[in-house]
Amino acid sequence: MRLNARPRGVARPDDPAVDTPVPNRPGTGREARGDPRSRRRGGRFGLYGRMVARDVARNRGITTALVALMMLSVMLGTASAGTLVRLIGASSNLMTLADAPHVAQLHAGEFDQPEVDRWAAGRLEVAHHQAMLMLGIDGGNLRFGGEPQTDSIQQNSLVVPNGAHDLLLDLENRPITRIEPGTIVLPVIYEGQDGLAVGDTVTITGAAGFTKDLTIAGFARDSIMNPAIASSKRLAVAPVDLEEVRARTGEVEHLVEFWLQDPATQSAGFKKAYQDAGMPQAGPMVDSATFQTLTVIGDGMVASVVILVSMLLLVVGLLCLRFSFLTAAEQDYREIGVLKAIGVAPRDVRRIYLTKYALLAGVASLLGLVGGLSLTPVLTRNITRYMGTASTPWNWIVPILAAALIFVVLVLFVLVLLRRFRKISAVVALSAGATHQPKATRVRLHRSRMPVQVRLGTMDVIARWPTYLLLLVVFAVSTFIMIVPVNSATTANAPGFINYMGIGTVDLRIDLRSTDEGSPDAFGAVVEQLEADPSVAVIAPMVTTRNDTIDRDGNAASLYIENGDHGRLPLTYAEGRAPTGGSEIALSLLALHQSGLGVGDTLPVEVEGQVRDLSVVGSYQDITHGGKTAKSSLPTGSEEVMWYVIGVELAPGADASAITREYGEQFAPAKVADIEQWRSQTLGSTAQQLTVAAGVSAVVAIVLAALMTALFARMLLARDAGQIAIQRAIGADDAGLRQQYLTRILLVLVLGVIVGTVAANTLGELMFNLMFEGMYGGFETLAQGTSRIDFSVNPLLAYALLPAALLGVVTVVTAASSRSISTTEISSLTTE
Amino acid sequence: MTTATAVLDAHGLTKTFDGHTVLQGLDLEVGGGEFISVMGPSGSGKSTLLYNISGMDTMTAGSVAFAGQDLASLSQKQLARLRLTTMGFIFQHVYLLKNLCLLDNVVLPAYLAGLAPREQLNERAMALMRRTGVAELADRDVSEASGGQLQRIGICRALINQPTILFCDEPTGALDSAAAAEIMDILGELNTEGTTIMLVTHDAKVAARTSRVLYLIDGRIVGDRHQGRYDGTRHDQRHLELTEWLLEQGL
Ligand SMILES: Nc1ncnc2c1ncn2[C@@H]1O[C@H](COP(=O)(O)OP(=O)(O)OP(=O)(O)O)[C@@H](O)[C@H]1O
Ligand SMILES: [Mg+2]
Repeated sequence: MRLNARPRGVARPDDPAVDTPVPNRPGTGREARGDPRSRRRGGRFGLYGRMVARDVARNRGITTALVALMMLSVMLGTASAGTLVRLIGASSNLMTLADAPHVAQLHAGEFDQPEVDRWAAGRLEVAHHQAMLMLGIDGGNLRFGGEPQTDSIQQNSLVVPNGAHDLLLDLENRPITRIEPGTIVLPVIYEGQDGLAVGDTVTITGAAGFTKDLTIAGFARDSIMNPAIASSKRLAVAPVDLEEVRARTGEVEHLVEFWLQDPATQSAGFKKAYQDAGMPQAGPMVDSATFQTLTVIGDGMVASVVILVSMLLLVVGLLCLRFSFLTAAEQDYREIGVLKAIGVAPRDVRRIYLTKYALLAGVASLLGLVGGLSLTPVLTRNITRYMGTASTPWNWIVPILAAALIFVVLVLFVLVLLRRFRKISAVVALSAGATHQPKATRVRLHRSRMPVQVRLGTMDVIARWPTYLLLLVVFAVSTFIMIVPVNSATTANAPGFINYMGIGTVDLRIDLRSTDEGSPDAFGAVVEQLEADPSVAVIAPMVTTRNDTIDRDGNAASLYIENGDHGRLPLTYAEGRAPTGGSEIALSLLALHQSGLGVGDTLPVEVEGQVRDLSVVGSYQDITHGGKTAKSSLPTGSEEVMWYVIGVELAPGADASAITREYGEQFAPAKVADIEQWRSQTLGSTAQQLTVAAGVSAVVAIVLAALMTALFARMLLARDAGQIAIQRAIGADDAGLRQQYLTRILLVLVLGVIVGTVAANTLGELMFNLMFEGMYGGFETLAQGTSRIDFSVNPLLAYALLPAALLGVVTVVTAASSRSISTTEISSLTTE
Repeated sequence: MTTATAVLDAHGLTKTFDGHTVLQGLDLEVGGGEFISVMGPSGSGKSTLLYNISGMDTMTAGSVAFAGQDLASLSQKQLARLRLTTMGFIFQHVYLLKNLCLLDNVVLPAYLAGLAPREQLNERAMALMRRTGVAELADRDVSEASGGQLQRIGICRALINQPTILFCDEPTGALDSAAAAEIMDILGELNTEGTTIMLVTHDAKVAARTSRVLYLIDGRIVGDRHQGRYDGTRHDQRHLELTEWLLEQGL
């Protein structure tokens, strides 16, 4: 910035030996020399305003990039904040509108309603309770639009919707209390599956040629069984249809539901009391906190990824801000000195800059907010479909607050940067000229074997590394936001992920619910048959019981213990080993955390009415059943059995899908699934959503890298115009010079990719686990080691294809940007 | 000078900056082995002439032939190669690369040309620096040498590829008369060895040591004086005669 106020003789840094580092664009100097009277008319602030405008015009590239980055960061920040608030709002809205129970117990077999009523009447905390009959239909007897549901791991049950409490809601969130006979309302998860739509037919078959066709009248949201990971689904029908089907097929279960006065404080005690009282409990018991976790997990993960990307963009934005500020300050250094010399207060000087950056940040924040608000519906499409929307003012307030927060961070950062202006003294600024010369390094051209231009590029990066730091961070961040979501997605999609779902490497998994006295025999029959089958190599039959234990605070708690021989088809333990015999136990990481123990301690567990001290010999991760499970081999005969699981490893060459189908039919109502199918169905859309998020962030990363490379290359070429002119003058050809610039940027890229990849595999993995910890145990389990998932990396994708894409884009952008080399001529130095 | 021995042959050389014509259709022939000085008031286009006649800058109109070859017919790469291997350039403001140490600045054009093993090129650079008396500065930074020393480094860089023609833009402008005389001695020697030299100067004492003087006003050659080779004698006499001639031109 050349000011008129500058005394002509002083201004020119005519050091004859070196070219001047910052070439002005022709013309800018002249524009500055306006009519002095017009300046006076505009007053001091008019002058400042013109300084700002001129500055923005001169550094158009960097200003544009800065605004773009700040805008992107605000946009993703507001969009993710908006998504989270909508997610939480919509899920609690759904819970409220549906009047979801606080505690629900699924019970199979005999059900004595008066007994439950009597017990509940004696409990002061119970505000209301009711039981709902659920008629479980085996997948083999159920067809959606002609498609048999044998392969589905979902447990589908016919119900008559409640008239009050625990309501099913239609897609407008209105209660569905009555179903026309002959029709059925399916859970929203099935909408669109195999093209399923209103008007299609659901067929239920049974023994002796029984067939019942029901027409789909609509789809319903179910406040407690919505997501894929909740494996039960409620299909609403009319009472007459339910009775008709019940007479011919199906398994009767009851869902016993309780509403408490104060669920937050009473839930834990109530559950214990219910179980101790010997109330019906042949099945899992869940509370509203669990429904909510299961409901938000998938979209919560996506929102977390977006928040991560937006935070990283903010970091890059801040760096870019600092860079832009230093560039402007370097250009204005002398003018600042002049202003100070003629008596302008430092405060006024700072105000000029503050005005400039606050204005830019303000514009970017506003644009970002608008962009973020329009991006939110895209991110919340799933949420809206499964849960509807809750229209609260928070949907708007939170994103606006997020944008405001980022704006404040940006302005505060400028204030910190501005402190450096206090140190500029008028004398130093006038005499020294440019802020700093590059430091001499010991790297020498004449001792090198490398190609000249490659060497020159390398030397420049070494000599001026602070200049390249911004680019390095950009490349590292780009690599990070490209690799972390991709690795998260490949991890969740990898076959090995079942290890974190509490099961070892098996080919098939057979699930059998404990429904009545016949269940142990059914289980025994399945085991017997598997043992006789030559195409089955190894089986690991497990019986899960519910046992009493105590938690870290000494309170009674119950634990699901999977009993069997854990030496067969073992899973990988996070710590320790598999339990052997009835005196050892392995706990899931979350259960371990809850018990307050470590591997090597002893845990008191009630077995057959006696307290046994079991030594904890191992820990493993299990994201199923709310994350809290255990493994041992305790006697199960007199215990309350919850469910049976049999892991199966097939003999080499056996046809897994044929066997799955065959056993599926033969062992019904046991669920037989090949493990891949089980994994993908249990995780449901979560893994898929992660894949989408990975794709989006890879694109964001590449765009970010391209944008910043273009900006940086232009800045570098403008700044080096003098050096380029000299090299061309002494005979360096343009291709060689282009090679030099490519070397500089690719060298920084390679370093950035290395830094980013290392960070992705350490920090990124840590963040992925934090996400699980937060989602399963809330704040108190954060960073407690309750999630220890190792990234399962697809090396071709993560370490070859994606970096190659980045490399390709950066190379093309650099090559395109370096065209200006051909137009840089030595005579341009004359006007310096 | 006859056309047969012409190294440079410019016709109608015109250069315009943003509509402002700096060289106005200038004709000039430079013979092999000549020692020419270019004089003229500041802003008359002396530097511009050097840049354009050497193909360093692209002229607006006209043609320049170097050793019989039309510069306009050469590709950017060929032109760069020609400058690198056959022309040397000493700039008004030296224009060294500030990231490189002084020796690196000297060897850079040699490395770019790549005509000999690097050890040999390093040796040649050191020999040149010894000859110009700056050998002990080899490992120094650009900011660690005086203006005169940097000017000599510039000369070494211009000579490293053994050019057949040397362009010098006020090589002595920033130096005191003793240092200037030393530089002129070196240039004189080079010319004696056969190098063609074209030199811009404001100093009649310097111009008196060359064999031909061009006088430029507003981008036109208004005077062209052949004054014979300088043999180290009669310097004051030559200076006096030249000054008189210059006064005539100035009118
Ligand atoms: N890149 C450029 N853009 C615009 N004008 C230029 C440029 N280079 C030179 N000029 C103009 O061309 C004219 C001649 O410049 P040149 O540098 O050739 O003069 P000179 O004779 O070498 O002067 P001096 O003796 O001061 O070095 C001047 O008016 C100058 O302002
Ligand atoms: Mg000049």
